[in-house]
Amino acid sequence: MKRTIAYLSLLFILGVLLYVANPDYGLKFGPGGDDWKNLRYTDDYYITHGVEEVGGTNIVTDIVFDYRGYDTIGEATVLFTAIAGAVALTRPWRGDEQ
Amino acid sequence: MNAEAILPYLIIIPLFGAFSMPIVSLAGKKAREAWAVIISGATLVVASALFYHVWDTKEIIVYTLGAKTPFGQGVDFPIRIVWEVDLFSAIMALTVAFVSFVTVIYSIDYMKHDTGLDKYYTLILVLELGMLGIAITGDLFNFYVFLEIMSIASYALVAFRNDTWEGIEAGIKYMFVGSIASSFVLLGIALLYGQYGTLTMGYLAIKLLQNPTVTAKVALALFIAGLLFKSGAAPVHMWLADAHPAAPSSISAMLSGLVIKVGGIYALARILFSIYSPLGNKILEVYHQPYINMSAVGWVIIIFACLTLIIGNAMAVIQTDMKRLLAYSSVGQIGYILLGLGIGLTAYGSHTGEVALAGAIYHTVNHALMKALLFLVAGAVIHEVGTRNLNELSGLAKTMPKTTFAFLIGAAAIVGLPPLNGFASKWLIYESSAIYNPVLGAIAIIGTAFCTAAYVRVLYTFFGRPSEKIANAKDPETSMMLPMFLLVLAIVVMGLFPWQISDKVMIPAARMLEQFNFEYIKALISLAGGA
Repeated sequence: MKRTIAYLSLLFILGVLLYVANPDYGLKFGPGGDDWKNLRYTDDYYITHGVEEVGGTNIVTDIVFDYRGYDTIGEATVLFTAIAGAVALTRPWRGDEQ
Repeated sequence: MNAEAILPYLIIIPLFGAFSMPIVSLAGKKAREAWAVIISGATLVVASALFYHVWDTKEIIVYTLGAKTPFGQGVDFPIRIVWEVDLFSAIMALTVAFVSFVTVIYSIDYMKHDTGLDKYYTLILVLELGMLGIAITGDLFNFYVFLEIMSIASYALVAFRNDTWEGIEAGIKYMFVGSIASSFVLLGIALLYGQYGTLTMGYLAIKLLQNPTVTAKVALALFIAGLLFKSGAAPVHMWLADAHPAAPSSISAMLSGLVIKVGGIYALARILFSIYSPLGNKILEVYHQPYINMSAVGWVIIIFACLTLIIGNAMAVIQTDMKRLLAYSSVGQIGYILLGLGIGLTAYGSHTGEVALAGAIYHTVNHALMKALLFLVAGAVIHEVGTRNLNELSGLAKTMPKTTFAFLIGAAAIVGLPPLNGFASKWLIYESSAIYNPVLGAIAIIGTAFCTAAYVRVLYTFFGRPSEKIANAKDPETSMMLPMFLLVLAIVVMGLFPWQISDKVMIPAARMLEQFNFEYIKALISLAGGA
């Protein structure tokens, strides 16, 4: 019973996401022309001004280390946390050290 | 002092503390404990200064990382990450810093029998960092990054005692459920970015009002689903009832007091009120433009709130494990906060809605203090007696009088007895829900009846005939009593000035949350003018 409901709701979510993925109602894929200016204005800005504002010729690194450098600090922290957590959980049990 | 100058230190200090902990702990046990206390104490000082500044000026601080203004050259949209701190953020930051500080002090003696403590203190500082990052951010993807930092640190801390079966079991459960919830949130962010092309919350709100599409509604549904998971609302509260009892008590205090509120309630409030602007959608409705019906969303929240309220509190009554009882009681109290939030959304623009929202914010803070206290007491009992089973703990008042007193204060506050802080916040929620819809008021009262039954049962056990198990128990040492004392003090002092706090802090916070977009746009315009 529970399982049936779970599968039905998964099916429902899938349907909704497919509806949203339809360019007629929801997201547009590969926007070009006017759509590019309307939907991807931030990306357009990075591409136009990235080189002169940041100095790197690789737009992705310009964004990841300059415009959105704070997110990169966050990602580094996620990695650090994951390692600290994994090391903490794989340590020997109490009383097993010797 | 200038708020822009102090705000970055709220992140820098715990980040530095966490990353330097592996090096500092080479100097030995004392050094790493002192370092953790210093770092969390310094964060508390910064958070207090920030809170005072925001409360004093009633202005939203907008801080851009890497430039003077979030806007690019010659364009009117933000291209950089911003921090936006309104009064609600500042209240959350202060609560997080305070409870983290007392739990770090508490950990010194509570965790002394465990191994791997350098990792423990690193993770606890990272947990604090993640929550502070969520509280102050104004960028949607940045919010997700800090949500992950907080979540991953808490998965590791729940399973920290890796030699207990329940720790590992609860950790795995929490990790699976939490990762699915996080991926819902990430999917929502991806949909919004694909549709609107920006990640800044304030600017996204404007774009959303210009064109409220079906994508935005689907994204909202995904956010609500993911964040209800994170806050432990029924029917997805099952991870919480396992994770909180299995974690070390200092961590349960942080999880129950802070994580479910910052990662769940605060984030939900931020998204519902700051991105999906109820006021803006009301205006669109009046002018017969396409709009998102935010009062329907409020009803969805209310339905989950009522379920959570009843299920959480009713399940608390039948528990025999002390920490499990407290965990279910947390679920129940989350129900009250969600109820306030939901009424704040459906009754948007009326006085009732404002009172409900203020009550929700107030109860978030109060519950963080009381539940942290109760879990610390439970930790002290486990530490001294070695069992969590309530049937074996009778007569604890004889041998652990101070601890029992602290529990008495915490239990009275959570039930909502008048001289303590829980009364005012619960009253605001009862009042607004009864005015808005008497049925909701009745459900809230039923929830409290169950809650009272659960805590009276525990107290009855504590004051009963002493059993053999507790004969050798005594109050724990000072470094464990001090955090409890600080929390009792905070509860009693806040209880003495309930209406002053409500009028001077919580109502303005609710107002700032409701009007966030307009204030934010004003702040953005002033920045653009100044640049």
